[in-house]
Amino acid sequence: MNNEMMNHESGLSLRDALFLGFCAVFTVVFRMAFRWHLGISGHAMFYTLALLLLARGSVNFRWSASCVGTLSGLMALILGLGKGGPLVVAKFLFPAVAVDLSALIWPLFFESYIAIALVAALASATKFLNSIVMDWLVGMDRVLILQRALIDAAGAILFGVAGSLLVPPVLRRLKARGVIQ
Amino acid sequence: MSVEQCIISQQVKVKRTVIGFSLVARLCLSLLLSCLAVALHSPLALLGLGMASFVYLGISRPGWPFLWKAVRVLLWQTTVLLVLHYLRFGPAGLPTGLRISWQLFLAFLPGMVLLQGTSQSQLVQMAGYLLSPRFAFVLGTSLHFVPLLICEIKGLYQAQILRGARIERRDILKPWCWSDWVGCLIVPVTVHALSLAGDIALAARVRDFGVSKHRTCWPGTENASELEIPL
Repeated sequence: MNNEMMNHESGLSLRDALFLGFCAVFTVVFRMAFRWHLGISGHAMFYTLALLLLARGSVNFRWSASCVGTLSGLMALILGLGKGGPLVVAKFLFPAVAVDLSALIWPLFFESYIAIALVAALASATKFLNSIVMDWLVGMDRVLILQRALIDAAGAILFGVAGSLLVPPVLRRLKARGVIQ
Repeated sequence: MSVEQCIISQQVKVKRTVIGFSLVARLCLSLLLSCLAVALHSPLALLGLGMASFVYLGISRPGWPFLWKAVRVLLWQTTVLLVLHYLRFGPAGLPTGLRISWQLFLAFLPGMVLLQGTSQSQLVQMAGYLLSPRFAFVLGTSLHFVPLLICEIKGLYQAQILRGARIERRDILKPWCWSDWVGCLIVPVTVHALSLAGDIALAARVRDFGVSKHRTCWPGTENASELEIPL
């Protein structure tokens, strides 16, 4: 990595920042492409978690996933994706922060399928919080808020874990070819 | 500063003033309407907000396909919420379900209208108001190069199928073919994205990207500080 290309404030090179930008754009592109309105709750977590984990695993920067989450959240906000206006940023940011914090505490979780599935389940479970905040703000009944949040979180965890299982073999092959360290 | 540099700098400044104002106003209006839709609970206030949103919709003139799309979203969401409220509260819960559906729709509509009336370059410019110049550049460049990346992914996909990789659509449902998806498509695409990011970063660096904390424009090798455009 060229030191001249590093941002001295953040420690993130422009090449890595651009790769994170690609991950963010693809997160939003997939979200737009898979808006089938089939009523399958949480299916967006499949590619969101896969891309967040790939970004964090490929780029050696402690807030990589959060950068992807912020960029994709802002894009989704500007593009008017999802319901909830400005709260849509939180949909991307909460799981991203969960991934980054998990990597800070347990840096080697990318190498194990079980560990990455656990982290993905934790990150996907943030959908519960997100759903509760949104429904509470619009004044929904408490029991309905809880029911809806549980359904949303269960679907998100299922799809998030499935998406995360794609990441370890990809990272392993990228390391084997010397593309990432 | 040369004449050419001065002209470019002035052009950029004028463009930012003319387009920037309407963009900022539209972005602020869109965010305000979305926030109010979430914050307001009274039916009368929501009716007023609905009228304001429809005035915004009328001014933006998004066209019939957009309106049809918005109506479909509203109908689908209303059906789901009415069913949920009916199951929970019976007929007494239906007005609340309608109100919540209307609120969610009003939160969703301004963003859709904003997207409809904004070009890609304006979107990138808008990102400059929300992010640092560095991340605005990253976002704009990523958006610009994604179509190229998608074209190359399509070429790679076709080439891998010709090689015999089991990555056709019907193979998605076959678990024994998933390793081909990873090995023949996801890994090469990631390598390609990293390589493209490296090329773009190099190209930006030789054009003095990053010499200043503020936004700069090319050319500006010798007097980069004079070409800085404060955000």
